Amino acid sequence: MTSWDAHTAVDAVWKLESARIIAGLVRMVGDVGLAEEFAQDALLAALERWPEGVPDNPGAWLMAIAKRRAVDHLRRAERLDRGHERLAHELSVQPDPGVAEPDPADGLDDDVLRLMFVSCHPALSTRARAALTLRLVGGLRTEEIARAFLVSETAVAQRIVRAKRTLAARRIPFEVPPQGERAARLSSVLEVVYLVFNEGYAATAGDDLMRPGLCLEALRLGRLLARLMPGEAEVHGLVALMELQASRAGARTGPQGEPIPLHEQNRGRWDRLLIHRGMAALLQARAVGGPFGPYVLQAAIAVCHAQAATAEDTDWAQIAALYAALSRVLPTPVVRLNQAVAVAMADGPEAGLALIDPLLAEPAMRNYHLLPGVRGDLLARLGRSAEARAEFERAAALAQNGPERAILLKRAAVLPALPVTFGPAVAAFLDREGLDPATVRSYRKTLTRLLREVGADRALAEVTAGQIAETFAAVWGRAAAATWNRHRAAVRSFAAWAEAGELGALLERRPEPRGRSRPMDPAAVETLLARPGLALRERAFWTLLYEHAARAEWALALDVEDGGRLPWPPRTAALLAQLIGDRVRGPLFLADRRSPRTTRDRCPDTGRGRLSYERAEYLFKQASGCTLRQLSQAGTPPSPA
Amino acid sequence: MRFLMTTKGGGQAPDEAMYAEMGKFVEEMTKAGVLLATGGLDPVGTRFTSSGGEVTVTDGPFTEAREAIVSFALIEVRSKEEAIEITRRFWKIAGDGVGGMQQVYGPE
Repeated sequence: MTSWDAHTAVDAVWKLESARIIAGLVRMVGDVGLAEEFAQDALLAALERWPEGVPDNPGAWLMAIAKRRAVDHLRRAERLDRGHERLAHELSVQPDPGVAEPDPADGLDDDVLRLMFVSCHPALSTRARAALTLRLVGGLRTEEIARAFLVSETAVAQRIVRAKRTLAARRIPFEVPPQGERAARLSSVLEVVYLVFNEGYAATAGDDLMRPGLCLEALRLGRLLARLMPGEAEVHGLVALMELQASRAGARTGPQGEPIPLHEQNRGRWDRLLIHRGMAALLQARAVGGPFGPYVLQAAIAVCHAQAATAEDTDWAQIAALYAALSRVLPTPVVRLNQAVAVAMADGPEAGLALIDPLLAEPAMRNYHLLPGVRGDLLARLGRSAEARAEFERAAALAQNGPERAILLKRAAVLPALPVTFGPAVAAFLDREGLDPATVRSYRKTLTRLLREVGADRALAEVTAGQIAETFAAVWGRAAAATWNRHRAAVRSFAAWAEAGELGALLERRPEPRGRSRPMDPAAVETLLARPGLALRERAFWTLLYEHAARAEWALALDVEDGGRLPWPPRTAALLAQLIGDRVRGPLFLADRRSPRTTRDRCPDTGRGRLSYERAEYLFKQASGCTLRQLSQAGTPPSPA
Repeated sequence: MRFLMTTKGGGQAPDEAMYAEMGKFVEEMTKAGVLLATGGLDPVGTRFTSSGGEVTVTDGPFTEAREAIVSFALIEVRSKEEAIEITRRFWKIAGDGVGGMQQVYGPE
């Protein structure tokens, strides 16, 4: 037999048979560690004997040898422990190992399923579960598992030894869990399979082939599980998800191993066979029925992508709806980020940004490069180049993998940087798209004059609020209150845009004769508050001002503690509760950025600063064309309680 | 990696027992996540010859029936050794005959 030496033959047979052999042995001896020992004995015997001639049915041969060892062990144990009633009783309830099984195939299938539930038992860490499952069910050698997970062989060996010890100490029964705990235990199994898959999927060209090989191991485990538990929709969902993701494996990296985003992939390189299998698995999940779990929903999203002939044909509305459902059953920040991406594709970048902004407060997202990556992308599409550039740079700094970092830096490099001197900054500020021409004219007057006084070449960072205040006093000191306030508004708007919030800080607003500032139309306020995709912070802040007829300065000075304490009108109360989440301290309304200061104007948990009046006013003006003051005046003050 | 197993015509005619055993084997391989697709082929095929820009289409049957591929199985395995082991098992059931096993390159 050419190209077939004993070692590789034994290894190949072992990988095909290990699950059934180990499972059968565990049922006999009731211990994973012992079962593996006997299996190892059988492997050694095969290595000795097979060079003389490989048996016709090598799997059955290995099983027979291992079983003989197990029987010897059980007899020895019986002799040693004769008189010990407990053990004797245990042995009497074990199936008699000497008798051949009535229907080996059926019995073994159930045993393999039991083995998976044991090796994926929640008493073990996820990593230990993965290693043990690959070892026992996949038949991988310790050294192969170590290479696949990029850890040392000793570490894997220890992990497996500890896991076996835990299983023995906790007397984990060899069974398919009863109905009551079935769902939780199954999700522990699925988690392990998906972890193995992702570990392999994350590996790229040039990596050790053992890593991409993990995808195949996971697919096999999943396909096996789907046959063993055909009535579980989530199992089919996971298989569908993995088949569909694997179908894109060949298209998702470039020649240098750089990742290619989904929408740029060559769909001709997607594996139609795996797509077909994925869709078939999803249909099976649907046939099982019941509410859709996270794997079924993720697979349904993957199907939407697979069905689009080109990136432009993607049904983003459907995907956004599926993500909305997914974020209800799996409300993780990453899912919400993906939802934001889908919403941005379906309803425009602004709607996406509105969903992303609340994520900035999530501690889990702080070092996650995709958050600034996605934000940068949406900002770039909105033409907010300078902000986009900063986000891409931040994403690049956080990215763990080289090719990804390179792509982010490239995206940052093609965007114009925030102009640092006063003149170009003003020009860029006035040059933005979508501004009302009258506003631009008014701003231009103020800012051009200011430029003349302060100097267009001055670095923006050098200009102080004091200088601006002096210049204002000199130039417009004697102007009417409304004029003064108009110039003041222009500077503050510019400062908020350029993120130089301090610039207008010393300019006092001058009281205008009454009646000058008209309250907003309540209908317009309601329309604004009902706008889809409005960020939670804005919705809460504006509702508070409106319902409470509160002054913006007062509201912005509130802390989290106040948010829970004051008697808010119902709508405000609900929104504030949502906004606060599980924060217990710090400013109620947080800025998007971290603050360098350590005052009470900084959230001690996230490091983000207090939302400034300038920024709040700027955002509201952008959204409504009115001032926060006009918003407050539209509301009715609460009756004193 | 994927391999395509093929069998050629003229092999042992299957009896009921072989059908049953082969059915079990196919099910087992599908369950194990190894067998991706399988099927039988009509030995009476159509032959295409392309030469100098001219494509000639010839309908079968052809005389050398033993050379026609009559069944295939696409399997996904960890190694060539594993593919060999599976193909060997297939032939243990199929009995006398001739076939091949080739690695499939392409989307992976």
